[in-house]
Amino acid sequence: MIQIQNVSRWYGQVIGVNDVTAEIGPGLTAMLGMNGAGKSTLMRLITGQLLPTTGSVKVFGMEPFANPEVFKRVGYCPEIDNFYEHYTGREFVHFLGRLSGLTNAEAKSRTEEVLVEVGMADRAHKKIAGYSKGMRQRIKLAQAMIAQPDIILLDEPLNGLDPVGRRELMDVLGKLSNEGKTIIVSSHILFEVEQMTRSILLMHRGRLLARGDLRDIRALIDRHPHKVRVETNNPRRLASELANLTNIVSMNFERGDRGLALQVQEPDAFYTALMDIALTTDIEIGGFFSPDNNLESVFNYLVHS
Amino acid sequence: MSVVSIESLVVRYGSFTALDGLSCEVPEGCTGLLGPNGAGKTTLLKTMLGFVQPTSGRATVLGMDIRTKGREIRQAIGLMPEQDCHIPGMSAVQFVTYAGELAGMPSDQALRRAHEVIEYCGLGEARYRNVETFSTGMKQRIKLAQALVHGPKLLLLDEPTNGLDPAGREDMLQLVQSVSHGKGVNVLVSSHLLPDIERVCDRVILVMRGKLQAAGTIKDLKKIEGHPIDVEVKETSGAFVNALMEKGFSVQPPKGTTYRVEGPGRPEEVNKTVFKVAKDTGTQIRGLIIAERSLEEAFLEAIKE
Amino acid sequence: MSNPIADLSYRNYDGPLTSPQARWWSIARQSISQGIKKKFFVTLSLLSASFYFVLLIVFYFVEVLNPAQAPGDKNPLLSMIKWNEQFLNAFSTSQLWLLLLALLIGSGSIANDNRANALLVYLSKPCTKLDYLIGKWVGIFIPLAVVTAIPTFLFYFYCLMSYREYGFLSQDPWLIVRLVFMIILPAAFHASVAMGISSLFNQGRIAGAVYAAIYFMTLFFTKFMQVAWIFSFRKGGSESSGSQFVANLYYMSVDGLQIGLAKHVLGTRGGLMFPGQGMSGQMRPRTGKGLGGANAPPQMNPAELIPTYGSLWLLTAVYLGCCGLALFVAWRRVRAVEVIGG
Repeated sequence: MIQIQNVSRWYGQVIGVNDVTAEIGPGLTAMLGMNGAGKSTLMRLITGQLLPTTGSVKVFGMEPFANPEVFKRVGYCPEIDNFYEHYTGREFVHFLGRLSGLTNAEAKSRTEEVLVEVGMADRAHKKIAGYSKGMRQRIKLAQAMIAQPDIILLDEPLNGLDPVGRRELMDVLGKLSNEGKTIIVSSHILFEVEQMTRSILLMHRGRLLARGDLRDIRALIDRHPHKVRVETNNPRRLASELANLTNIVSMNFERGDRGLALQVQEPDAFYTALMDIALTTDIEIGGFFSPDNNLESVFNYLVHS
Repeated sequence: MSVVSIESLVVRYGSFTALDGLSCEVPEGCTGLLGPNGAGKTTLLKTMLGFVQPTSGRATVLGMDIRTKGREIRQAIGLMPEQDCHIPGMSAVQFVTYAGELAGMPSDQALRRAHEVIEYCGLGEARYRNVETFSTGMKQRIKLAQALVHGPKLLLLDEPTNGLDPAGREDMLQLVQSVSHGKGVNVLVSSHLLPDIERVCDRVILVMRGKLQAAGTIKDLKKIEGHPIDVEVKETSGAFVNALMEKGFSVQPPKGTTYRVEGPGRPEEVNKTVFKVAKDTGTQIRGLIIAERSLEEAFLEAIKE
Repeated sequence: MSNPIADLSYRNYDGPLTSPQARWWSIARQSISQGIKKKFFVTLSLLSASFYFVLLIVFYFVEVLNPAQAPGDKNPLLSMIKWNEQFLNAFSTSQLWLLLLALLIGSGSIANDNRANALLVYLSKPCTKLDYLIGKWVGIFIPLAVVTAIPTFLFYFYCLMSYREYGFLSQDPWLIVRLVFMIILPAAFHASVAMGISSLFNQGRIAGAVYAAIYFMTLFFTKFMQVAWIFSFRKGGSESSGSQFVANLYYMSVDGLQIGLAKHVLGTRGGLMFPGQGMSGQMRPRTGKGLGGANAPPQMNPAELIPTYGSLWLLTAVYLGCCGLALFVAWRRVRAVEVIGG
């Protein structure tokens, strides 16, 4: 649905995005990166608020810049907090629904539906000026969803919500993504992003650093062998058993001799070997896991190499 | 020895009851303060600082009564607020020095100490720059620095990782961890990001609707009855599940590729059985750990009651 | 047995801490040092003392060009000087510069803090709202008072030493006390009002613009009152009730309040430096310059172009009222309870 082809955008000397090519389709994609990496710029290029300096952005096959056809089908939930403070939540969402092209009747009914979905139905009659951060986030999300867009972009949507709110919001986004919509979420909170999706788009200093499924990416980072921690009562014996495997890069004995920390190159072979050892010898394996098989580790490896 | 001791505290704003007979003890060390939005966490923090006069009940902070010794309490506490705040027109060193002087330090001590604390917070390079030019991460650190400069015995952190990218979050959490463990500074962290709290704190206090909902060590809160284990496999496999169930295991539906299973027998035997079943069904196990609730799950469960 | 490698990790501070009462002085000291460092502070201070320089030059020329007729005799021109009036003149010429100084150091005092959310920092330390306000007020008051005081006292002592024979001390032995009051009045007024207006806004520049606007608009109002005075003076003389009313209104400006009160404090109605001489280069109170001596109708003495006295009670009441209102506004605007979140 979104096609980005060699897009660059700069502001004077400062480069926002540098030669990015990507395709984003239905489902939930996470946009990650450090502060200043170009995530917001890329979002604004997709929503048609900015014109790329070079390259092309195509949404639904059309250029999004100043294109009402595209705007009708794209919802944007920005990070900044700027509202008409004197409106009530309901009025605000209704107003933005009308701006998106809904008729008055449609806007009214959609407003109610969408307020229920974000959990603001009982509080939307109060003026926005008195809202807490969490309530503002929900109103932002409501206005992004009201016209039932096919693409929704959210910049730090979970900011300010308590854990209950986060869960509710993640459920809403999950539901929308299952319906086939394209959802792009930009967030710093990696452990939450991990729960929502495995499809990531990592920006670093304006360039696209990685794109695709988290697991595939992890498997490809050769430079950083997989870490595995094995809890066992006899780490040194385990070490000697494993030492013959050539794909083990390093072994560290944990303090107190309670476990073994390893770095392995080809995890498949390793795990099979480990199970064999567990079954054929009398070494007791209390447990094992891979501490760097999560988004945060992958992020660090990619960004800080 | 508890750092903050609260007994049946009732705080009302007009007709709205923010704290409704709250009683809790904040022990030494690092404690997390959790609760949904509007639960009274903010009011609790304000009360601890000696700002809000309670309607009834008693509270002491570091042994001082909040009703009579507000100023002394604030001299012994450091607050890192959630919102952006600074004194306009000052460099980092000037700002932290001033903060120290405001807390009562003599000027020469304040300056010396300001340099020390700024260095500790990782702002050594930028110490002579105007605070208004700082990035988000640096602003968070300077807030921490101004809270630490007068050597408080209790540190109140309100959303310390707000707005930080993953690297910044990591740094901040490390700072908090190092200051709270082994330096004699007690820390109370209020945050919605439960993994952060898990990382840094030893205990948590959960506040809901103005009352204490739960309190305890994180370890206790995460424990699950029985001995379930989380088994992560490379690919989900019906055969694996069936084989386990035949051996008398209970298997929960998988989350991603992780099954939560519980089986009869001692933990070591259970593990071996799982390995055998895996080998027999050709399933590769990539992780096996004792199942714990995440703090988030514990939180959500506690709230439901 | 000490470790050769120092432990540079976090240490606790267990050093001395002053008592948490009365933290306002730290705040004041900071405001003062920030204020003094502003770009035009020294320039404006010198300008506010400009009248004294002029006086010195005038005296020099008087002594040189119109010396005493015989040695040992007193200089005829200098004998005519009423010293209180000269201080009044100096005072009123410095009003505009004092205002600019007040704007420079005072207009941003609370406004910038509002924008930077600085109150959060202050109140999380052992400072109360009262400490904060007193500190800010003193931080504006002291520079203004000192800037007025230094040239005034320097000139006073200079005259004390050089012009004792011309009645400097004998004319009014209480002069120095009056001068102290005269220094305190505008400093206190500007400190209160600037602080009050500053607390209403988020930007120092806007607060400054508002205060300046009030100042100049009331000044124009004064001009109109001067016209009205001329008419009522012609109609009924200076003692008629109409004239009295206009006279009171004349002093109802920021500028006028200070000058009116100063006139009472110094016990002088203001007048020409060398009365009866009609020298055109003489200094008049700035507000009288508008019509110029040459255009005055014949029956008016140039010194009577401005209403000489406003009622003391009215002036004091309005002065205290303005200060009180400004302080009250500042008190209300600085919200103490919103320390965390909301």
